[in-house]
Amino acid sequence: MSVLHIAEVTKTFSAGAKAVDSFSLDVADGELVCLLGPSGSGKSTLLRMVGGFEQPTSGSITIDGEDVTHLPPERRPTGMVFQSHALWTHMNVFKNLAFGLKLRRMPAAEIRDKVEAVLDLVGLAGYGDRMTTQLSGGQQQRVALARSLVLEPKILLLDEPFASLDQHLRERLREEVRDIQQRLGITTLFVTHGQDEALSMADRIVVMANGKTEQIDRPDVVYRDPKTPFVAGFIGSMNLIDGEVRNGYFMRSDLTVQLQVPDGPATLAIRPESLDVTASDTPKASVHRVTDYGSHGLVDLDLADGTRLKSMVAHPDLFRAGQGVDVFPRAIAAYRDNQQIYRS
Amino acid sequence: MSEATKQAVRPLVDTAESRRPIGLLFVAIPVFLVIWLVIWPAINAISRTVWRKDKSGEMGFDLSSYAFFFSDSYSLDNLSITLWTTLVCAILLLMICLPIALYLRFSRGRLAAYVQALAIFPMFVPSIILAFAFIRVLGPNGMVDILFNAVDLPKIRTPYLTPWGPVIGLVWDNIPLTVLILLAGLGSVANQSIEAARDVGANAVQVFWHIILPRISNSILVALSFSVLGIFSSFTLPYLLGPASPEMLGPFMQRTLREVQDPVGAMTQAVIAFGFCIVFGLFYVRSVARSREK
Amino acid sequence: MSTMTTARGRIDWLGIFFAGLLTIAIVGPLLVVGTWAFTEVWRYPNVIPQQFGFRFWAQTLGRADVWNALMLSLQLTTVVTLLSALICLPAAYAFARMNFPGRNILFFSFLAGHAFPKFGLLVAIAAIFLQLDLIGTFWGVVLIQLVGTLMFMIWIPVAAFQSVDRRMEEAARDVGAGPFRVFWSVTLPQAGPTIAAAVLLSFVGTFYETEGAWLIGAPGIRTMPVLMISFINNQMVIQFGAVLSVLLWVPSFIALMFARRVIGGGAFARGFGG
Repeated sequence: MSVLHIAEVTKTFSAGAKAVDSFSLDVADGELVCLLGPSGSGKSTLLRMVGGFEQPTSGSITIDGEDVTHLPPERRPTGMVFQSHALWTHMNVFKNLAFGLKLRRMPAAEIRDKVEAVLDLVGLAGYGDRMTTQLSGGQQQRVALARSLVLEPKILLLDEPFASLDQHLRERLREEVRDIQQRLGITTLFVTHGQDEALSMADRIVVMANGKTEQIDRPDVVYRDPKTPFVAGFIGSMNLIDGEVRNGYFMRSDLTVQLQVPDGPATLAIRPESLDVTASDTPKASVHRVTDYGSHGLVDLDLADGTRLKSMVAHPDLFRAGQGVDVFPRAIAAYRDNQQIYRS
Repeated sequence: MSEATKQAVRPLVDTAESRRPIGLLFVAIPVFLVIWLVIWPAINAISRTVWRKDKSGEMGFDLSSYAFFFSDSYSLDNLSITLWTTLVCAILLLMICLPIALYLRFSRGRLAAYVQALAIFPMFVPSIILAFAFIRVLGPNGMVDILFNAVDLPKIRTPYLTPWGPVIGLVWDNIPLTVLILLAGLGSVANQSIEAARDVGANAVQVFWHIILPRISNSILVALSFSVLGIFSSFTLPYLLGPASPEMLGPFMQRTLREVQDPVGAMTQAVIAFGFCIVFGLFYVRSVARSREK
Repeated sequence: MSTMTTARGRIDWLGIFFAGLLTIAIVGPLLVVGTWAFTEVWRYPNVIPQQFGFRFWAQTLGRADVWNALMLSLQLTTVVTLLSALICLPAAYAFARMNFPGRNILFFSFLAGHAFPKFGLLVAIAAIFLQLDLIGTFWGVVLIQLVGTLMFMIWIPVAAFQSVDRRMEEAARDVGAGPFRVFWSVTLPQAGPTIAAAVLLSFVGTFYETEGAWLIGAPGIRTMPVLMISFINNQMVIQFGAVLSVLLWVPSFIALMFARRVIGGGAFARGFGG
C-alpha cells in the first residue's frame, strides 16, 4: 500500500530551469527509499517539496490518501532531518524535542515521557539537560533525528544528514538510523549523493539526474543492471566506451567486441571486475599504470587512440607499465540514445 | 556578505613577528586624539563640575551645580522631555524597523531590494535637509495641509515646534541603522532552523516568538542602545523642529554654553546626560567588542 | 528560498505595503523640497505650483554668504579628510598587520567616542576649547570634525586590510617582491575599494557635520549646514532653503552610489555593532 504518492511533480525556478521534471514515485508503508544523484540533480528540491518547504509548479503529492500539495510544512505529517541538523541553539536538548509537542498542547507529563523514550531510542538517554552546543557532531545529528521522531511523523525525510560527519561516524550512524527505521517501521525518504549510503541503507534507490528519474530499483539491481549510461557511470566504477557497431561487432580503436545489435553508434559499459587482461604479443592496449591494493590490483590501460580503461586483476604483480596486453570483456551492457540495447 | 565582513569578525591576525613597538608609532596620533578629545574631556567635565572654586576662591568638592540642576524646574522639565522623546522614539523605531527587517530577511526580488534601498536612504540625507523637508511637508501650510485642503479635510495640528516634531524627525533619521543592525542580527538565524520549527508544527507567529526573537534579542538591544545614545543628546532636529520651552538637553546645553556662557552649567548637563546613557554606552561597547573578538 | 513568505507567484502584499509606505514617508518629503527649488510662485492652497522657473537659483547662487559658506565647507572638509586619511590609514595598517604592546585595548579605545551621547561629548570638548581659545576658529572646527571621523576611518580600513589574504602576500614575496612592492601591488589594490569608500563616506559625513561646526565654529565659521540653520531660523524665502538643499544633496548622492558595496555588505552595520 503506498503511503506517499508523488505524481508528475515539476518545479521550475524563476530563471526557467527545471529543478525537477515530471517526477513520479510511490513509496510503500515502512519502506526506505533513497534519492541518489549528483548535486543539482533536483533530489533535495524534491525532498523539500514533500516536506512543504517548496511548492511544486505542477503535479501533486499525496500522503496517506490526503492531497498535501498546497499545505504548509507545519500542517504536513512529515518530519525532516536537515543536513546542518538545524538545532535551536538557544534551547537545551529536551526543549528542542519538546517544542513540537508543546505546540500541540500535550500535557507536560506526557511530553516528558515521550521525549525520554525517544532520547533512549537514539542512544542519548540522560542528555536532556545538555545545551546543543555542548554535543559532538554525531550527537547533534542524533538529537535532530529524535526531534523529528518524537512527533511520530508518517514520513521521515532525511536531507543528506551525515554529510558533515567524518567517514567513520557516518558508517556507524548509517547503521543506527537503518535499525531505528526498521524497528519503528517508519516510511522514509532519504537524500544522498553518496552511493555507499544508498546501496547499504535503501530498500529502493531512485537515481536522479537533471531533475529526471534515471532508474528506480532495488540497490543490487541498480548496481548489476544499470538501465541508462548515466546510472552505469554514476554507481560504482565503470568503463564507458563510445564506439560504432558494424555487422554485429562493436569497434573502438583496436578493441572489437561481439555485439548483436543493429548497426550504428553505441556506448559499451564494462565493470573493471568484468574486464580480463592477459599479456599478449599482438596487443590491443598497453598498460599505463599498475596499482596494488593488497587484496586486489587495478590496471590502467590505454587503447591505441588513448582511450583509458580500468581492469581489476587478482595478481597485479604480473603486469608492469608499458607492457602490451589483450583485453577480454566477460559481461557487457550497451546503450544507444540513452536506452539499454543489449546486456549479457 | 563582502570579503571585508567575513574577516572583520575574526580576531586581529596574530602575526608571526615578535611584538615590536614600531606599530605604536603608527597609531600614536589617532590614539593621542582619542585621549585628548574624547577621554580627557569626559574626565575633565566630571572633575571640573565636582571640584571647583567656591566663593572664597578655594578649590574644593562642590556638587552645587548638580543640586541646582535637580532643583530647577526648567532643567527638570528639559530632562523629562528628553527622556520622553528618547523613549517614544525607541518604541516607534522598534515598531517600524522590526517588521521591515523581518520582511527583508525573508524576501527576495526587486520589490524587496526597493524596500531595502528606501529604508537605508535616510542615511544619505543630512538632518539639516530633513529638517527643511519636514517643515515644508508637515509645517503650517505644508504639503499635508495642501493635500487635505484639496480633498476638503480640515487642517492638521502641525507637529512643527511641538515635542512630536523632533520625535518624527529622529525616527526618520534613525531608521537606516536600526534596520541594518536588526538585519545583521536576523542574518545569524539559519533558514534551516526556521524550517525545522515549521516542520514540527510552528506557525509564523510561533516561529517568530520561539525561534527568531531569542536569537536576535542582542541585536535589538544594540540597535536600541545606538539610537538612544544618538537621540538622548541630539541637537539639530530638536533645535529646529522642537518647542523652545521645554527644550531637549541638546539645545539646552548649547544655549547654556554659548548664550548663557555658563560652561560649568553646560558641563553639568553633559555629565548628567553621560549618567543617563552609561548603561547603553557600556552595553554598546561590550557588544561591538564581542562581535569583533569572535 | 522562501521560508516565511507566501509561495512564488502570489502577490507580495506585504512588500507592496512597505514599499508604498516608505515611498510616501521617505521619498515624498524630498520630492516636495525638490519641487520648491524649481518653483517661482506657489501660493496656498494650490496643489501644484503656479509658476516654475530658475529665478531663485540665480538669486541663491548670487548671495555672497552662500559662496563663502560653500568655499569654507569645501576647504574644511578637504583638510579634515586628508588629515584623517594621513593619520588613520597607517594606524589601520598597523592594527591589521603588526603586533605591538597594547594593540587590542588601543584598537577598542576608538569605540569610546561612540559610547557617550554625542552632543554631551561635544559640549565637554567645547569647554576645553574655550580655555584654549579655539572657539570660533577654523582649526577648532577641524579638530572636532577630525575626531568624528576617527572610528570610521580606522575600523573599516582595518577590516579591509585584514580581508587581504595573507597567502596572497606571501605568494608575492615568494615570486620575489619586496615588502613595499607587496604592499603597493597586492595589499593596496585588494583593500583599495573599501578604503576609498571609507574616505568618501568620511568626506561626505564631514561636509554635513552640523553640530560640532555650530557649537565650536559659531559665529566666525559658517559652513553650509550652519548657513542652512540660519536660513531656517530666520524664515528666509522658502526657495533659498530648497535650492540649498538640492545643492547640498549632490555630494550625498555621489556617496550613495559609491558606498553601496560597503553598506550592502553589512560591514557597515557590523562597524556599528550589529
